[in-house]
Amino acid sequence: MEFFSDSVALSRMQFALTAIFHILWPVLTTGMGIYLVIVEGLWLKTRNPDYYLHARFWSKFYVLNFGIGVATGIPMEFQFGTNWAPFSEAVGNFFGSVIGFEASWAFMLEAAFLGIMLFGWERVNPAIHYLSTILVAVGANLSTLWILTANSWMQTPAGGEMVNGKFVVYDYFQAMFNPFMVNSVLHMFFATLETSLFVIGGISAWYILQQRHQAFFSKSLKIALAAAIAVAPLQIYLGHLSAEQVYHYQPSKLAAMEAQWKTTPAGKAADWSLLAIPNEKAQKNEWEITIPNGLGYILEFKKELSEPVLGLKEWKPEDRPRLVGLIYYSFRIMSGIGFFLAGLMLVSTLQWLRGKLAAENISQQRWLMLAWIFAAPLGYIAVESGWIVRCVGRQPWTLYGQIRTVDAASHLPASNVLVSLTGFATVYSILFIAVLFFGSRIIRNGPNLDLPIPSLEPAKPAVDTTPAEFVPNERPVEAQE
Amino acid sequence: METLKYFLPQVWFVILGLFLLLYVMLDGFDLGVGILSLTSSNEERRGILMTSLSNIWDANETWLVLMAGGLFGAFPLAYSTILNALYIPIFMMVFGFIFRGVAFEFREQAKQKIFWNLAFGAGSFVAALGQGFALGSVLKGIAVDEAGHFIGTTFDWLSWQSALAALTLIQGYVLIGSTYLIWKTTEELQDEHYRTAKIAAWTTLIGAILITITTPIFYENTRSRLFEQPFIYIFAAIPLLGVFLIRQLLISLNRRQERAPFIWTILLFVLSFLGLGLIVFPYIIPPKITIYEASADPSSLVIMIIFIGFLIPVMLFYNLYQYIVFRGKVTGGHYE
Repeated sequence: MEFFSDSVALSRMQFALTAIFHILWPVLTTGMGIYLVIVEGLWLKTRNPDYYLHARFWSKFYVLNFGIGVATGIPMEFQFGTNWAPFSEAVGNFFGSVIGFEASWAFMLEAAFLGIMLFGWERVNPAIHYLSTILVAVGANLSTLWILTANSWMQTPAGGEMVNGKFVVYDYFQAMFNPFMVNSVLHMFFATLETSLFVIGGISAWYILQQRHQAFFSKSLKIALAAAIAVAPLQIYLGHLSAEQVYHYQPSKLAAMEAQWKTTPAGKAADWSLLAIPNEKAQKNEWEITIPNGLGYILEFKKELSEPVLGLKEWKPEDRPRLVGLIYYSFRIMSGIGFFLAGLMLVSTLQWLRGKLAAENISQQRWLMLAWIFAAPLGYIAVESGWIVRCVGRQPWTLYGQIRTVDAASHLPASNVLVSLTGFATVYSILFIAVLFFGSRIIRNGPNLDLPIPSLEPAKPAVDTTPAEFVPNERPVEAQE
Repeated sequence: METLKYFLPQVWFVILGLFLLLYVMLDGFDLGVGILSLTSSNEERRGILMTSLSNIWDANETWLVLMAGGLFGAFPLAYSTILNALYIPIFMMVFGFIFRGVAFEFREQAKQKIFWNLAFGAGSFVAALGQGFALGSVLKGIAVDEAGHFIGTTFDWLSWQSALAALTLIQGYVLIGSTYLIWKTTEELQDEHYRTAKIAAWTTLIGAILITITTPIFYENTRSRLFEQPFIYIFAAIPLLGVFLIRQLLISLNRRQERAPFIWTILLFVLSFLGLGLIVFPYIIPPKITIYEASADPSSLVIMIIFIGFLIPVMLFYNLYQYIVFRGKVTGGHYE
C-alpha cells in the first residue's frame, strides 16, 4: 500500500494518533483541578467533612488521569523534533520558545505541587494544602494557555514573517496575541471545564441511580450543574466566535466545515447544509438537507452575508483541505454535543428549581440521571471533534499559508515511522483498556466515607515537624480499603 | 550587538546545561531506583521503592521536558537535527517513560502487580538506555551537511562508543539510585543498597575510565581541544578529582554514612557533567555546528530569558520545598 511507504503520511498519522489519545487525559485534569479547588474551598469555609471527602474521592480520578497525561504528553513534545524537524527549525524562534514557556510556567508548577496535593494532607497545614491545590489547577490551566497560544499561532501566524525559510519574529506580543489566541484559549478552557463537569455529574448520577450515597453525590451533581449553568451557554457563544474567526481568517477551513463548494458573494444569502454527503472528486454534495438562507443567520445572525463565503472550488485541490466529510461531520458532532449539554443543563436546572433534586427524591429522576450518565463521555467526543476540525481543516498547511505539511515533515525512512506508529497504537490500546478498567473499579468501589478528617486548627507550623503516617505500597489511607 | 550575538547563545548553553544536569541527577536517581526494582525480591520492598518516588517522579521528569522545550526555542536547529538523527533512541526513551509513568498509578490499582512492576523496572531501564545512546551519539558526533541538517542513516546512533556511554550512564543511575535509597530507607533495604552502591561505584568508575581514555584517542576534534592551553590543566584535573570523589564515596559507604554517599555521587555527576560540557562547548551538534550557528534570533533568546530564565529560582524553590515536605525515611510502615 502507498500509505505504508509514505513517511509524511505516517508521521501525520502518528501525530494525529498521539494527539488524539493524549488530549483525553489533560482535559479531565485541567477541568477537575478547578472542581477540586471549589470543593476544598467549600470544606475550609463550611467545615462540612463531606466536601473533604469529595476532594479525596475525585482526586483519585485526577491522579489516574494525570500519570497517563504526563506519559503521553512527552511523545508530543519530542515528535516536533523527530518527525517534524524542518518545521521545528523554521519556527523555533517563536513556537519553540512557547513550548519552553509551557514547561517552565505550567508543567513544573503542576508537578511540584501535585505531590503535596495528593499525599500532603497530613504533612502540611490546611492553608498550604489549599494553596497547593490552587497552584496545581493554575499550572494545568497555564498549559492550556501556552499550548493554545502555540497552536493558534499555527492557525493565524502573526508578529513576523518568513525570511529564507525561517520565521523571524518582529513583535512577540503580536505573535502571542495572534488573531485566534484569546478566543481559542477560552474555548479550550471552557471545553476542559465543561467535559469535567459532565464527567463528575455523570458519575454522581450513576451513584444516585444505584441508590448509593445519594445525599453525598447529589452535592457533587449540584456543584457540577451550578457551574454548567454558566459554562454551557458561554461555551456555545465562544464556539460561535471561533467559527466567525475561521470565516474571516481561514476561509478554506470554513468551506470544508460547511461543505460549501461554490462561492456565495457578499450581500447574498446562502443555504446552510444540515446534513450532506460531500463528494470530493465531483466537487459537490451528493445528497443534502439544507436550511434555506441559514448560513448568514449562523455566521452573522442576519440573512445576507456581509463578506463572501468562498467555496472549496476557489482553491486548487492541492491548496485546500481534504477529508471534507470528516471536517464537516466533526464540526456537526461538536456543535450538536454543545447544544445537547446546554439542553441537559436547562432541564436539570428546571428540575432543581422545582425541588426535584433534593437528596431524598433525586433518585426518582431516572431519565434525567440516565441523561447525565449518557452525557459523561460526550465532552471528550466534542473536544476531539473540535480538534479534528481545527487541525485537519488547516491542511494542507502546518503553518497556515506559510509552511505546507509536506515540507514540514522530517525525511525519515518510512519503516522507522511505521514501527513507532505501530508501537504507539499497541501501547495506547493497552493503556486505554487499563484506564477504563481501573477507572470503573474506582467507581464501583465508591468513596471511603470513613476517612479521618484532618484537623482544621491553625496551630500547626507550615511544615509539620512531627513524623507523619506514610504507608508505603499504598496511598496514605484510602487505598487500604 | 556583536558581543550579544555570542553572549546570548552562551547564556542559553549554560541554562540548558543546568536543566540537563538537574534532570540527570534527579531523574537519574528516579530511573536508578526503577532499574534496581528489577532485582527486588518482594512486593513490600518494591512498594517502598515506588513510594519513595511517588511524589517526585513527575517533577523530576519535567526537567527534561523543560530542557527540551528550552532547546527547541533557543537552538531550533540543534533540536530538530539531533532528534531527527536519534529517532530510535528517543522513542526508546519515550516508550520507557510511558510504561514507567503509568506504572505508578496502575500498580497501585492493580491486584496483579507483576505486569506493572515489570513496566516500571523495564521502562526505567529502556528509558535510561535510550538516553545513554542519545548522549553517546551526540558526543561521538552527528553527520550533518553544511546547513546542519542530518544526512546520516537510521542506525548511526549505534556504535561501541555510544554503547559504552549508555552502559556507563546506567551504572551512574544505579549508583545515584542506590545512594538515594540509602538516604530514604532503613534496615535490610538500606543494607541491600549499600551493597549495590559499592558495586555500582566500581562499575561506574570503570566506565568513566574507559570513556576518559578513549575520548582523546578516537575523536580528533576533542583531542586537539584537550591538549590546548589552558584546557589541558582543566582536563587533567577532572579525572583526578573524579578519582578523589569516588574514593570519598567508597569511604562513606564503608562507614555506613547515610547522606554522604548521595552527596558524593551528586558531586561526581556535577564533575562529569562539567567535563562533558567543556569538551562539547562551543558545539551543540558536534562535530560541526556551534551554538552560534544553531541559535535562535537574539530577540527570541532575550524573551526566553525573561519567560524561563527568571523563573529558574522560583522553580528551584518550589521543588526544594516539596523535598522538605516529604523529607524523612520511607520504611516498612512510616516516613520517620
